[in-house]
Amino acid sequence: MIPPRFHGVALAAGSAAGAVALAILGLWCAGFAPLAVITTWCAGAFGNGTRIALSLQEAGPLLLTGLATALAFRCGVLNVGGEGQFLAGAALFTAAALVLPVVGFALPLALGLGAAAGAAWAAIAAGLARWRGVPVVLSTILLNIIAVAVLGALVEGPLRDPATTAPQSALVADVFHLPVLVAGTRLHLGIVLAFVLAGVVWLVHERTSLGFEAKVIGLNPAAALRVGMPVAARQMQLLVASGAIAGLAGAAQVAGVTHFLSAATTSYGYAGIVVALLGRLHPVGIAAAALFMGLLDTGGRACEKQLGVPHELGDVVKGVMVLGVLIAAAWAARRSAAAHQGPADG
Amino acid sequence: MLPVVALTGIRKAFAATLALDDVSLALAPGVVHGVLGENGAGKSTLMHILFGLIQPDAGRIQVDGRPVVLASPAVARGLGIGLVHQHFCLSPSLTVLENLALAVGEGFGLVRRRDLLAQVAPAAAALGWEMPWDAPAGSLSVGGQQRLEILKALAGGGKVLILDEPTAVLAPQEAAELLRALRRLAATGMAVVFISHKLAEIESVCDEVTILRRGRLVHHGPLADLDRARLATLMVGPAAHPAIPPDPRPAGAQADIRLRFTGVSLTCEGQRLSDASFTVRAGEIVGVAGVDGNGQGALVDAALGLAAPTSGTVARSGNLGDRALAVIPGDRRREGLVTALSVRDNLLLKDRRRRPYARWGWLAPALWRRKAVRLIRRFDVRPADAGLPVAALSGGNQQKVVVARELDPRPRLVVAVNPTRGLDLAASAAVMDRLRAARAAGAGVLLVHSDLDELLEISDRILVCAAGRVSDSGWPATTRERIGRLMLDAASAIPTAVRPATVRPAAKPGDGAP
Repeated sequence: MIPPRFHGVALAAGSAAGAVALAILGLWCAGFAPLAVITTWCAGAFGNGTRIALSLQEAGPLLLTGLATALAFRCGVLNVGGEGQFLAGAALFTAAALVLPVVGFALPLALGLGAAAGAAWAAIAAGLARWRGVPVVLSTILLNIIAVAVLGALVEGPLRDPATTAPQSALVADVFHLPVLVAGTRLHLGIVLAFVLAGVVWLVHERTSLGFEAKVIGLNPAAALRVGMPVAARQMQLLVASGAIAGLAGAAQVAGVTHFLSAATTSYGYAGIVVALLGRLHPVGIAAAALFMGLLDTGGRACEKQLGVPHELGDVVKGVMVLGVLIAAAWAARRSAAAHQGPADG
Repeated sequence: MLPVVALTGIRKAFAATLALDDVSLALAPGVVHGVLGENGAGKSTLMHILFGLIQPDAGRIQVDGRPVVLASPAVARGLGIGLVHQHFCLSPSLTVLENLALAVGEGFGLVRRRDLLAQVAPAAAALGWEMPWDAPAGSLSVGGQQRLEILKALAGGGKVLILDEPTAVLAPQEAAELLRALRRLAATGMAVVFISHKLAEIESVCDEVTILRRGRLVHHGPLADLDRARLATLMVGPAAHPAIPPDPRPAGAQADIRLRFTGVSLTCEGQRLSDASFTVRAGEIVGVAGVDGNGQGALVDAALGLAAPTSGTVARSGNLGDRALAVIPGDRRREGLVTALSVRDNLLLKDRRRRPYARWGWLAPALWRRKAVRLIRRFDVRPADAGLPVAALSGGNQQKVVVARELDPRPRLVVAVNPTRGLDLAASAAVMDRLRAARAAGAGVLLVHSDLDELLEISDRILVCAAGRVSDSGWPATTRERIGRLMLDAASAIPTAVRPATVRPAAKPGDGAP
């Protein structure tokens, strides 16, 4: 038997394993030899130093957007706007890097501005919820669409690099690059910062009054109200903090990997929802889920290149994993509800 | 005459609470049968058993003289038993006829419009109802939606129709019209079960009554034998306690005011409170009696500051989260506890930012544990395990966790709602003792409670909340019968007799009674 505190881990791991098995089964039916798929995938994901670095590099932004999503979800705020907040962070970071003077503290300043842009983008949703009663899940998803459109306008207009015809900005100066950790790769300092941030979030969750309040509000807002917690205000604060982390992820992606802004979006914000749910909203779980998703991505790309496996399959695996986690969680909740059913009122 | 449905010796327990104890009920065709009782008396449980939603632990059920097992609502419907819930279960975007098709349709069978109409239209015509068959159900008035619910319950040839507090949601004219329709239904030979708290309605429509009290049958028989005072007494029970509260507090009148309502009016989640004025002083327990849903919810939310009055003012010692204000909510699992968290976390919900349990925003887990262990011992929470999730505790021990958290320091004002609901005798007594101890320690206590016995036992004064108005009952200088009347009368600004003398059922009331 698995001890109860590890039920969540078993649930997530089981869903992940099941999804991968299903994917391999599907590929087998489509005529791909399972063994070849597995070996190619493993070699692609962690076959040598460069591949491991690539997987870690993918895991970095996923870890940040996963943490951002979890911060909001944990207190009952369905912030599905990680994508828009990520893009807002990336855009303001790039704009700042293109205009700020090249001085020592310019990089941290620009990263901070990126985080602030993400926070501001989330604050729109917070304000709409607080003063107009708009559900956060609606406003954030609509703000994603607006963010994509604004990004397109920016790279076509004010931020466009006059030297190219493509809708993209100029490269940012070297001082705005996050230092590379392993020569010859793009594995940058951002991944370390992401793990440090995961540790900070864990501390806040487990050891502070704020984290305790967030947990109580997420589990039972009616009871939270009656023990004097400022439920609505706390939820909006955490929504804005969640936007800041997503914005930082966007800024770090430009600073560490792409070095310029383009209209081609990467969906790290949406993938953050998958990571947060697969990680069961726990920082350690989210770190594991981000690493797993990073491996899945790079391994999947190798399979696509060498075997012709469609990369959409990776998305199918993600979808099945999330469904598995959600179904299992709902099932567990119903079982515990049934076990604690009280007398009918009457 | 043979009863259509007879329930005999029904018993049902939920965990430690006995909801029904040896209750019998016989329904005769052509008779409107009233079921009365306070909240928690077991009325709904009995109806749920009759409709197959709940299985009894013991007892026999017979339909048309044959023993049956009502394993599910589908089985009950098949035997001609229909239930109209207190809350409607309609699909608002579908038409009236489509909603009926859902009720009639079985499996994947197709329903033809013409056949369906031929089936349901006569029933509506017999009741004198013009139904807009093709209008969306959501566009109907509340009364219209209820008619649709009744037609749903009748669809497929009903013999028994159960209505669970059907008039609670209706305006007075709609209620009067419904009562007339029930008489017409009975005249066609249907057995009707009518649940209500409103004495005037019971008197105007019922032939027989069954009165339940704390899960036991206290009266069964024709209504004609009873006058209103006798009904009220049967419902709230005989005076089981001395007329003077055991612990009178003569100093109360001069003590500090801990809660003061001045002309407070508000509407909150559909409940209205109008022009309420009263005070709660240090060292007294002020009971609020009343049938649930008469404005107590609005009163409590206003008292706690959760809802702002539209007019009038509320002055109170302490705010939510302060040690000075203790709250024992009516629904402990939803409003009082975070059941997924440990007993320890629940006991310290109000200490999360208070020294020494938190310093500069950092928690001190060792101190949390120590305080939790102390409270568990003092308030006798079982099992004595601070790390256990609250969901794993029994109802009584969950309530002890709430009481321990709220009453532990020394609150100045306690607001408690149905604090013993669903608890067994020992746990109830423990909670009541804690409230007495809080009063002795100088707290003012506002106790909103639907159990009149317990209120009379513990309160220094009793207010009555009925139809959104709060009045002083005069307790302890008055009788419990008068309090019962105050609780019920204000709710009965209702229909005069709607029973036409010509359609008295042929069956003599009382036939088929066990």
